[in-house]
Amino acid sequence: MSTPVLETENLVKVYGRGPAQFHALKGLSFQIHRGESVAIVGKSGSGKSTLMHLLALLDEPTSGVVALDGRPVSKLKPKTVSALRNETFGFVFQQFFLNPNQSVLENVTLPLKIAGVSRSERDQRGMHALEQLEMADKAKNRATDLSGGQKQRVCIARALINNPDVLFADEPTGNLDSATSETVENILLNLQRDHGITLVVVTHDEDLASKCQRRLIMQDGEIVEEQTGVRVSSSRKAPITGGQGRPAPRRRRLLSFGRAGAR
Amino acid sequence: MKSLDLTKSALSNTLRSKLRTALTVIAIVIGAFTLTLTSGLGAGINQTVDRIFGGFGVDDVIYVVPQMEADAQEQDGPPEYDPEAGVEPEDGFGTGMLSAADVEIVEGLDHVVGVDTEVAAQLEYLQAPDGGQYQAQFDFALNDVLAEFAAGGAPDRGEMQITLPEDWLEIFGTEDPEDALGQTLIVAAPNAVGQTTEFEAEVVGVTQGTLAGVGFTPIPSVALAEEVADINAEGYEGQMPEAYIMAAAEIENLEANEDAVKDALAAEGLWGLTVEDQIAMFEAVIDAITWILSGFALIALLAASFGIVNTLLMSVQERTREIGLMKALGMSRARVFTLFSMEAVVIGIMGSVVGIGLGLIAGFVTNGLLTADDGPLGGFAELSLFGLDPFAIGGIFLLIIIIAFLAGTLPAARAAKKDPIEALRYE
Repeated sequence: MSTPVLETENLVKVYGRGPAQFHALKGLSFQIHRGESVAIVGKSGSGKSTLMHLLALLDEPTSGVVALDGRPVSKLKPKTVSALRNETFGFVFQQFFLNPNQSVLENVTLPLKIAGVSRSERDQRGMHALEQLEMADKAKNRATDLSGGQKQRVCIARALINNPDVLFADEPTGNLDSATSETVENILLNLQRDHGITLVVVTHDEDLASKCQRRLIMQDGEIVEEQTGVRVSSSRKAPITGGQGRPAPRRRRLLSFGRAGAR
Repeated sequence: MKSLDLTKSALSNTLRSKLRTALTVIAIVIGAFTLTLTSGLGAGINQTVDRIFGGFGVDDVIYVVPQMEADAQEQDGPPEYDPEAGVEPEDGFGTGMLSAADVEIVEGLDHVVGVDTEVAAQLEYLQAPDGGQYQAQFDFALNDVLAEFAAGGAPDRGEMQITLPEDWLEIFGTEDPEDALGQTLIVAAPNAVGQTTEFEAEVVGVTQGTLAGVGFTPIPSVALAEEVADINAEGYEGQMPEAYIMAAAEIENLEANEDAVKDALAAEGLWGLTVEDQIAMFEAVIDAITWILSGFALIALLAASFGIVNTLLMSVQERTREIGLMKALGMSRARVFTLFSMEAVVIGIMGSVVGIGLGLIAGFVTNGLLTADDGPLGGFAELSLFGLDPFAIGGIFLLIIIIAFLAGTLPAARAAKKDPIEALRYE
């Protein structure tokens, strides 16, 4: 197989010191190949968010290596790492992180603005991204005037605008009801399938996880199980942690993105 | 991020919480306003001085006065009387006067082509043609070159001539300065035993008071002042020490020989000053006052800079998640730092533009009101209290921007330092 787009070797992340030390990741080694969809699944505190932050170059491991396209990144300067994130990654967050003072279009084009792309090209590519997600008519709206699903679509447009190699989605459906969740899931998976974008999803929505080609099940800082193949799964009914498949609106556990869960 | 985009972002960010920005800007405005006024005041007065003194062609004269004893000003208690240490009649040194010997020395110096002396002349009264008698004190005869004339000109130093200040015109019952020219006054001087001698003098000029303090009293010609001094000395028993207040030494080719003459004078215990030196001394005083006043304005600016620090710290705190997002999306530390320090600079620019603008308006309006012909300071010739000095204004503008930038560095460094993960998690 070709060089994996992302690769880790003996990845360790330790928070704190002395007796208060907490081993968030206990030596993970795995590969993510170009064009793959991978779900990192686990309970709060299992280390899945920490893992995603390391993969997305937002944080540095205590020891071990993260390699992007076969190139170890730990030795790179912060400025180079920032540029790499800007050019190769797209981010979708559970809490959207849209700037309420700016229009939808301005929010979507932020990565290009950071990259130093001219205004006219930014707007053109921004409109294109919004069209892909059928949000072009909202381009001039304030970001706060949108519904949850619309906001997440704006976020996806923002994540796509720099034509990323890898799209990181941190609980992308965490704040959405079930119908909207499904739409967003389909958008993400279509992007992976039709455009060859590598998709890395952190979630405890089993439904979303089951649609990915590969699932890394995490527990206490280790990958306890690896499942492959899209499951024609059980559940349109219930998330892993949910109750009995109540109809919409379905809320995931709110503390999922919280402090404990993230580490 | 491109610089243009950074600037635009910084501008729109500062306009986001308008009230907070406005309050911070007001603090800067106060500092900028005060600085503009104080520097404008200094510039105005110095421009006035330049204008008044600039027109004089008597650039080849060095004024000579005795050198002050360095410790004359500072004494611990009164000195004890020493009967042996009487002041020699020939020696003007220490009395603040030049002796005849001093004047001879000056005359004997290289490059000196002529010396005029200033004697102390005491008047009894001046008598108008209609017989009215007025008390008067002469200005220095050698100050004639510094006077500003409403009519006529300086007296001929060798003739019995005199100039009068504008407010003396009433003794001729006129308001037109031209009417006074050619009139004859009777000058009355007392002698040592109290008798009064009278002689005639012609009015050749009408003076306006200037900032240098010249022209508020009648200016005699040198010959007239000497005549009065001679009368004063009549009847004096014993040797009247010849004493001069100052001497004006005419120098050939002043520009080339100025330093040589001054050094020679200094070696004789004398002090030489050109008109330019006197202007420079005057301007130094004005500058000192300007700097002291500007110091207070700087204190106001210093206080305002803490306002910027405070405002931006709040802003960084509020926008933690936004900063986290920008960093996650690949904005470098340096750019985040630049973005926030630009916001400080934007606040500085707003404050300085408004403050300097208001300061200029206030300065020129006040100047216009005060120095108008019927204003409280209208009696000074060509006085302007407020002047536009483009370099000073530019300097103030730059200074405020530098202060604002420095104030912004602390919050900007905080923003730049934020860890994107922590920042995105911030509630």
